[in-house]
Amino acid sequence: MGYPHKPHPKETVVLSQYFGDADARTVKGWTKRGGYEALAQALKMEPVTVTEVMKESGLRGRGGAGFPTGLKWSFMPKEKKKPHYLCVNADESEPGTFKDREIMRWTPHALLEGTAIAAHAIQAEVAYVYIRGEFTEPWTIMEKALAEANAAGVFGKIKIVLHRGAGAYICGEETALMNSIEGKRGNPRIKPPFPAAAGLFGMPTTINNVETLAAVPQILKRGAAWYKGLCLSNPKSTGTKLFSVCGHVQRPGNYEVTMGFPLKDLLYDMCGGVPAGRTLKACIPGGSSVPILNREETERTLLDYEGCVAAGSMLGSGGVIVFDDSADMVYQIMRLARFYAHESCAQCTQCREGTAWTTKILERILAGQGKTQDLDLLLDLSENMTGKTICVLSDSCAAPVVSGIKKFKNEFEDYIAGKRKPVMVA
Amino acid sequence: MTVTEEYRPVFAGKVLEELQVILGRYPTKQAALLPALWVVQRERGWISDRNMAEVGEVLGVTPAYVKGVVTFYTMYHQHPVGRNFVQVCTTSPCNICGAEGVVKAFLEQTGAKDAGATSPDGKWTIIEVECLGACGFATPVLINDDFVENVTPDKVADLVKKYR
Amino acid sequence: MADSLITLMIDGVPVSVAPGTLVIEAAKQAGVLVPHYCYHPGLPVAGVCRMCLVEIEKAPKLQIACATAVTEGMVVKTQSAPAKDARKSVLEFLLINHPLDCPICDQAGECELQDFVFQEGRSGTRYGEYAKRFNPVEDFGPDVLYVPNRCILCTRCVRFMDDVAQEPVLNVSERGDRAFIGIHPEARLDHPWAGNVVDLCPVGSLLSKDFLHKARAWELDKTASICTGCSQGCSVTLDTRDEVVVRVRPRPNLDVNRYFICDHGRANYRWMNRGDRIEAPLVKRDGELHATDWDEAFARVVGILRGASGKAVALVSPGASVEALALAKRLLSTFEWTGAFQVVMGEEAPLAGVPNLALRAERAPNAKGAEQLGYTRDYDAAVKAAESAAVVLVLDDPDCPVQTAGALIYAGTVLPPETACRAAQVVLPIANVAEEDGTFVNRDGRAQRYFQAKPAPGMARPAAWVLGELAAALGVAEVA
Repeated sequence: MGYPHKPHPKETVVLSQYFGDADARTVKGWTKRGGYEALAQALKMEPVTVTEVMKESGLRGRGGAGFPTGLKWSFMPKEKKKPHYLCVNADESEPGTFKDREIMRWTPHALLEGTAIAAHAIQAEVAYVYIRGEFTEPWTIMEKALAEANAAGVFGKIKIVLHRGAGAYICGEETALMNSIEGKRGNPRIKPPFPAAAGLFGMPTTINNVETLAAVPQILKRGAAWYKGLCLSNPKSTGTKLFSVCGHVQRPGNYEVTMGFPLKDLLYDMCGGVPAGRTLKACIPGGSSVPILNREETERTLLDYEGCVAAGSMLGSGGVIVFDDSADMVYQIMRLARFYAHESCAQCTQCREGTAWTTKILERILAGQGKTQDLDLLLDLSENMTGKTICVLSDSCAAPVVSGIKKFKNEFEDYIAGKRKPVMVA
Repeated sequence: MTVTEEYRPVFAGKVLEELQVILGRYPTKQAALLPALWVVQRERGWISDRNMAEVGEVLGVTPAYVKGVVTFYTMYHQHPVGRNFVQVCTTSPCNICGAEGVVKAFLEQTGAKDAGATSPDGKWTIIEVECLGACGFATPVLINDDFVENVTPDKVADLVKKYR
Repeated sequence: MADSLITLMIDGVPVSVAPGTLVIEAAKQAGVLVPHYCYHPGLPVAGVCRMCLVEIEKAPKLQIACATAVTEGMVVKTQSAPAKDARKSVLEFLLINHPLDCPICDQAGECELQDFVFQEGRSGTRYGEYAKRFNPVEDFGPDVLYVPNRCILCTRCVRFMDDVAQEPVLNVSERGDRAFIGIHPEARLDHPWAGNVVDLCPVGSLLSKDFLHKARAWELDKTASICTGCSQGCSVTLDTRDEVVVRVRPRPNLDVNRYFICDHGRANYRWMNRGDRIEAPLVKRDGELHATDWDEAFARVVGILRGASGKAVALVSPGASVEALALAKRLLSTFEWTGAFQVVMGEEAPLAGVPNLALRAERAPNAKGAEQLGYTRDYDAAVKAAESAAVVLVLDDPDCPVQTAGALIYAGTVLPPETACRAAQVVLPIANVAEEDGTFVNRDGRAQRYFQAKPAPGMARPAAWVLGELAAALGVAEVA
């Protein structure tokens, strides 16, 4: 659903309060709405105090990993001996996810303010906002907002630089993002060293997601206890999350709910469920890199980090992809494998060759030339691609394949047995 | 008969001034590489081997290094493309909402034979791309720098007309 | 000191190493070779091939041995099932696009992919129905061919050019399984040390044009030697096939050349196989040189030396061994002696990433050794002095323009041209560097041994033997 639209009564509107409100994009409009007060307050606080507030709030990284934000900030050296950097990960490319785009389009100042507060907390003088190249509209809006905010002098000594990506999903991986800013191929780095020790340009660095940082000004203003109190299930998952719902739903779009919210209510109440006359078949709750849930699992999932794991998947980026009974699971899993094969950086053998091989096997199955051994082969390859590489793109390709074969085996077997007409040419 | 034209540098005059500003944002010259390549593509429409050598010279890296970077990122064009460069997302979330039909519609309406090939009148290049980050607004299409949401096959004819 | 070492277990073997040592290096001490491709002790760590995955107790995932530093009490298992399965899978992934080129590939027999697949790979392919990725062969420059189909993207070549040669002329192009090693069209791989990428390449992807299809690895005999191309004195291996030198490769020497040699030294071997050699001792009879045996040649030389007195001049090659040069001097110890050599000079070409390593301007291996033995560089003066000397000994310097009133003895590998030392009374055939054991002293004063790789032709013998026999016959062999 495009903006503006009225929030659903079951939403908890924090980040999305001004989505659709064009006036909020200006400095004047933002300050009128209470913006940049938190930043002014933060700049008067000790960096370590700001970090404590984040720790207390329970804010966790919203890019996909869910790492506690305050803890991540505390990894930075307390004593400043070298330049510190903050990188903002606006490379949003995880299939199914489109929340950071909305934050940048509608509340650029929320992001800029959160960035500056974070930079202050980790004692960084420069923050680079890495915006994927395809986000032409968010880029223009962010550019304008940054210029205005700089003119208004709200950032103090902190310098925020926008850096444009050029088409690489892998640059959303934190070490690949740093390499990309440095003017290199977007190859993830082996760890150690960890970014907080040696990151961007070899200096101590923290990387945070857009949605994570957009929450920071609110937490500082309204207090850690307030944010911590926004919790419906597990106390380790606090605050709100923007869920990007897409695919076979009547009302796709971003929905902001409190952590622990039932996925069932999100899909059926807020999004209107699947199109009329169809039934929900599968759902990926956290962007394509997490395991696929079947209908039964979907309907009992609570949307927080622990709840999704309990259901057999992960919260990830919160990109909710819905498949109804008209979806060809085999084809869609092939299309996801093809995505990963296209995006592999080529460093690690398993990923470089495995993602392409996985795609080829699935294409053959869809072309009516699959063999019964192919499913075991796919599972074996997926196991070999998991937990053995520099980054987890390889594991991410395996996730839909393994969960897909496990839960929708009949669809694969139908193609292999010739019960289903081929939809591709070998 | 080939005529070798004198190479016209990209980074001269105002464009060189722009590069100086960009360089001021990073502690190393090499970090200005991605922004510099965007400038080249904006000025020339694509990035040739000779352009890569020029960028390398200006930033103090080898042409081979620049080429390694250019070939990594899919948005940099290494050959000229049609006047309208159309990127249609066909990754799974958009795929299940009919993205492939949108691609087909674009190919039909523009006369471009295959995805990737430029149309005979040189005005269109249509390609399938991976997730554009607008899955809830299926199918998103990037036409040059314009990000168009909610494209369905029936809307393609009007879009093509608008940009032709 | 023993207490600053770290002790760990590798495959049940305890080893103690310095802190910061990588597990893959520590394993060598335990006698364990962890299979690997992208790792090389002479290059920065990449950690990309994933071949060296090992199991480390208490670590949740397998770790790459090339990027993991040892910790006290670490228990490493390289042969556990998970580790072997992981490595087996890496090999399988490498082989899906790797062509079955072994029958026509130069690397066969010295190929690390063959070696590890044979050791722990799958016995059959599961990739039967699909086409392999294909790219045509590329010519990268003066001596290097790139066969993209065989490339396993270990990036050793890129890292060598980037960090060791410090001329980043190779890159990784494209992404995913479309990736290959690229070079900018306006660039060539003509760095003076670029040939090392061929040695570094674990498979037959980067090939030497010079060695292309010349010999099979298992047909080669390998002998340790020292490069004669310049005064750096790099350790090399001479590869011979049927007693012909067909290739020169670097031999690891951490003190001199680490793992590399320059292209000049690499190409510097054809002269070792020259056919136009002196194959028998020659003595002058009736104004002409006649072939004879060693006894007569020795007798003639001894006669000359016993019957002469006064000045003797030795004009020597700076490529002669220390032994030969010392004995040459000993031989003339009863005379008023002058010894000199001249060195061909060329342009220096350092290998930027290694301290004190370069193709040196002095294009000879033993100038320093000659100097240490008392030979000077006053070559022209010595040639002048030779005109009035009683005895002139020329050692392997065929173009020496000497003319003398005295007796000229020439010891060399090839016959001097008519205009030069054909005026010799005696010509003694000697072995070249590939045909004898000997010692060179490099520019830093390091004495290094080289060994015989092939037999000398005909009756040619090592110069040290020839001169030693003569010295013994003359009674000057013992040091006073």
